[in-house]
Amino acid sequence: MGRLTTLLWAVEHHECDVENEVICAPENVNILFEYKEPWFSVGPVNFTRTSFLIFLAAAVVIGLLYFGLRRNRLVPTKFEAAIQSLVEFVRDGIARDIIGPEGVRYTPYLLSIFMLILVGNLFELAPLINFPITSRMALPAFLSLITYVIFVFVGFKKNGIRYLTDTAWPKAVPIGLRWLVGLIEIVSTFILRPITLAVRLFANLVAGHLMLSLLLGSGIAFVLAVGEIGPKAGIGVVWFAFGLLMFVFELLVGVLQAYIFTLLTAVYIQTSIHPAH
Amino acid sequence: MSTRLWMAILAQEEAEPSSNVSLVLPETNELIAGIVAFLIVFFFVWKWAMPAINRTLEARQKAITGKLEDAERAKNEAENLRKDYEQQIADARSKGNDLIEEARKAAEAMKADMIARAQAEAEGIVSKAREEAAQEKSRAMGEARREVANLSIDLAERVVGKNLDREAQLGLVDQYIAELERG
Repeated sequence: MGRLTTLLWAVEHHECDVENEVICAPENVNILFEYKEPWFSVGPVNFTRTSFLIFLAAAVVIGLLYFGLRRNRLVPTKFEAAIQSLVEFVRDGIARDIIGPEGVRYTPYLLSIFMLILVGNLFELAPLINFPITSRMALPAFLSLITYVIFVFVGFKKNGIRYLTDTAWPKAVPIGLRWLVGLIEIVSTFILRPITLAVRLFANLVAGHLMLSLLLGSGIAFVLAVGEIGPKAGIGVVWFAFGLLMFVFELLVGVLQAYIFTLLTAVYIQTSIHPAH
Repeated sequence: MSTRLWMAILAQEEAEPSSNVSLVLPETNELIAGIVAFLIVFFFVWKWAMPAINRTLEARQKAITGKLEDAERAKNEAENLRKDYEQQIADARSKGNDLIEEARKAAEAMKADMIARAQAEAEGIVSKAREEAAQEKSRAMGEARREVANLSIDLAERVVGKNLDREAQLGLVDQYIAELERG
């Protein structure tokens, strides 16, 4: 089943040299992110702890939406009101406000990625899970690929070949700079956008998980080693306090990154519909 | 809890962590899980969650609109009722004023009538009394005149010592009195 949670890697593996070091750090940080041992296999595909967490995130999203929306009540409970306002926020605050009235049709996709990324990010903070599935490249890469396919498809569908020519030859720019701006636009739109979209999410969550694992893991390791190292175990208290601060900060990052990913997806779709802007 | 215990509980065979490059590349197993999980979520949202939220919000909108319309209607009704009542009160007041005015007029007419009647009656009584007094007076005068005439004749008979022709003498006396009255 693998390590219970990567937060406790230092404790689990007794890797930390508490006598000579001031913080525990693994030799290879990948150990904090990789769960390769399969629970079971379907043909060549291994089902790992990360696979399980990805499906768990999907189940949590479906559960939240199901219990939030199943009853068509005039006066919702607090939970129902929260879920409904979340859905309304994605539909009105992101889809309609960014893309325009025609943007409402993209709400199912925007809501799906928002909820999945949000839950995936907050897995970092969930007890016993303590691992954001978005700190693995699979989900960010796949979702930004879908976003890429959608906004390129929409661009050509709405504007035909002018989508490409208007991007490469922006008429609003003075002629002398037009080729340069066009080149930058082409590269940024068709090459950098999907990469930055995926990497922004992935890197933020990797950093967060790294910080939390090192701080909380070191904190626990040093405090538990109080018998061996005496007063030096106090370092553990400091690391743990920092870790708790980061914990709150990661809550903000998790929500913000989910919002940013969804918002940028909407912005990209909007610029494909109106490339002149 | 000692770290050895943790080791005992959690010691598992650990796959060797791969090189750092692999951290930024998606792993096939996770990619497949991610694709399947996303598709499940997307179809659930598309086929169930969106219709559900639209239904709920529409129902709520309808209910709120209905409530607002009801409130508007009730307000209008109340306004109409108020106007009706005000109208009725105004009517009643003017009717009351009319009644009072009428009553006042009737009372005045009655008063005038009564005064007139009382005056007429008083005048009647006075004139009747005056008439009676005059009658009485003339009757008394007549009697007095007869008495005076008789006395005068009696006196004259005694003075003369013989019976006078009473009838002729009476005529004479009357004539005399009449002359007195005239003179």
